[in-house]
Amino acid sequence: MILAIIENAFLSLVGSAIPASTVVVLAATGAMLGERVGVLNLGQEGLIGIGAVYSVIAVLSWGVQSPWMAMLIGMIAAAVAGLVFAVCVVAFRASQVLVGLALALGGIGLSNQLGTNRNGTLIKTLFREVNPGGVLDNNDLMSAFLFHDPIVYIAYVGLPLVLWFVLFRTRHGMNMKAVGENPAAADAVGVSVTGWRIFYSVLGASLTGAAGSYMVLAFTPSWSPDIARGRGWVALAVVIFAGWRPGWAVAGALLYGSMISLDTTAQARGWGLPFMGASDLSFFLSMLPYVVTLVAILIPAGAVKLGRRVRSTAAPAALAIPYAREER
Amino acid sequence: MTPLGSIAGAVLSATPWRLDRRLEVDTRRAALSRISGAVSAMVVVGILLLLTGRNAFWILWQALDSILGSQRGIEGVALRAIPILMTALGVALSLRMKVWNIGSDGQFLMGGLAAVGVGIHMNGPGWLVLIVMAVAGTLAGAAWILVPALARAYLDVNEIITTLLLNFVAFQLVVWASLGFWRDRESAVIRSTERVPVILEKIPGAESVTIALFVPVIIAAALWWVFRSTTIGYEVDTIGGNPRAAGFAGIAVRRRIMVVMLFTGAIAGLGGMLQLSAPGAQAMNAGFSAQFGLSGFIVAALAGASFWGVMGGGVCIAAMFYAGVLLQTKGLSVYIIFASYGVILTGIALGEIAARYRLARRDTEETGTGSDAVAADHASEGAGS
Repeated sequence: MILAIIENAFLSLVGSAIPASTVVVLAATGAMLGERVGVLNLGQEGLIGIGAVYSVIAVLSWGVQSPWMAMLIGMIAAAVAGLVFAVCVVAFRASQVLVGLALALGGIGLSNQLGTNRNGTLIKTLFREVNPGGVLDNNDLMSAFLFHDPIVYIAYVGLPLVLWFVLFRTRHGMNMKAVGENPAAADAVGVSVTGWRIFYSVLGASLTGAAGSYMVLAFTPSWSPDIARGRGWVALAVVIFAGWRPGWAVAGALLYGSMISLDTTAQARGWGLPFMGASDLSFFLSMLPYVVTLVAILIPAGAVKLGRRVRSTAAPAALAIPYAREER
Repeated sequence: MTPLGSIAGAVLSATPWRLDRRLEVDTRRAALSRISGAVSAMVVVGILLLLTGRNAFWILWQALDSILGSQRGIEGVALRAIPILMTALGVALSLRMKVWNIGSDGQFLMGGLAAVGVGIHMNGPGWLVLIVMAVAGTLAGAAWILVPALARAYLDVNEIITTLLLNFVAFQLVVWASLGFWRDRESAVIRSTERVPVILEKIPGAESVTIALFVPVIIAAALWWVFRSTTIGYEVDTIGGNPRAAGFAGIAVRRRIMVVMLFTGAIAGLGGMLQLSAPGAQAMNAGFSAQFGLSGFIVAALAGASFWGVMGGGVCIAAMFYAGVLLQTKGLSVYIIFASYGVILTGIALGEIAARYRLARRDTEETGTGSDAVAADHASEGAGS
């Protein structure tokens, strides 16, 4: 009996943690792409909002029928915003911190404004779960771990594998890392630092836009103001936790997602502790994802400090430093 | 290899213009170009709004006219200027060291929360309660930045993300306090904490502005003096210029980072207490900080870490903020105001670049750029990231 309850709770935790983390995995991968070539985009929160709101507009106002198409539209919108950001910081060398914060603010404001008349309208064009054969019912172990929508597989398996392969097994990836670590050297061997930086930060922005689209096309699934609710900032933290390695970003995002689902599960089931009532516990648990994320950033840095050998967890050396050939 | 990347690269190198670094940038030119960046950003926003059928210029003019024409309006601006100035001064102080404290909203909230805790539990003469509240708010603000400060100073963990994450924690804590452990159980308002019975003394002749208005002025003067005439101020500026050089010069960089960051948190925390002890506020709820930290950050970015610049910019932003309240009744939503904050901040960042570089044609003679100075400057910009 007790075992069944625990199993049930565990499964619903896992089952909700995986989709909850997907948003952060996508955004963190997007942020990581830009940071690998030396562009720190603090505007993730805004990009999530822009991606989400344009997917909502595509579905509700433009009559788009396919979730893939809606996501593509969200990604393009975020890419346009990312392009404005990239031109400001890469071509004009403006401060990445200031323009990034501006993008966060502007993106949140713009998406909230565009979403005003669409608050709470349920989105029906959703990504469907992949359930081969439909053999297993919803409460099964397999269902919690395996049967999710296609974006989950892309975010957790496809993207990290591709990015890992490109970064660590190809010449192209070597060039990317060179642009982020030592742009002058990359420039000397004929890699256009400006071009690569703009390209990859725009690509990263579109991935973060996809994170926002996923929120409205699978997770929530409706528009509400301030839709990102800090997930963009968590994604930036996850990149630090992951030490700029794609696989570890998945782990970091899952850590955050499991805290989120702990909160929602506890609320839904009215869990309490002997010294803390159910409502107090849920207030406490809603702070936990951010606290855990904060601690998670400190772990790799602390490990380095204590003399543990941690492989390649340092930030790209040229991160957030504008590059100008004339000043080499 | 990256077709799009090389196309972008080719387009950029095909333009006949390039950015040339100016050899000297005086602070007046820098301030002027930041301000003109902000102003032209506002004009861009205004034109965009005009295209969507909202005459923002006319509305803003009307709003400013009604604000500056009445005592009520001027006091409304002053009331909003106090929290914005406090957070802005904190951020400006950290910017002297090129440390970005994005968490002033959280520190502001914690300052207010600590002050509420003292105010609703302590019995005693009003002046004593207020002093203890101020001390508690200041300490709470400093405590809220303690972990990011330790992480930045001793683990070299970038402070931007850590301070920002704590904003969310502080917000949830305030929600918890106002719906949970300090909830007001007596009045009809159930979404806030209990009310603090004491308030600060009003300025003679004012209807609602308290002596809290003098606090940011005093702090700005003190900071200005510290950075003009003391070794500590000089050391902090040196660290801001180049932390490695400062370390070689024998400055205790880590300890200075700790002290400065704790002070920035303390100032924001005291701001929270001041906001709480204004007549009519007196309790915490989820909307206690109406993005004051964010506005403060923009003020500090605009003022470029000059403390008197912060005072001027803070009053301007407070006027805009108050105008924004009026604008909402005339068809501009608060979202548009935040979106335009983003554009204005971009304008400031581009203005900063305009002060440091000039556009030159590619075929003109190379101006001698001091590459060492440039490298040092960039090293300090990237420090800690």
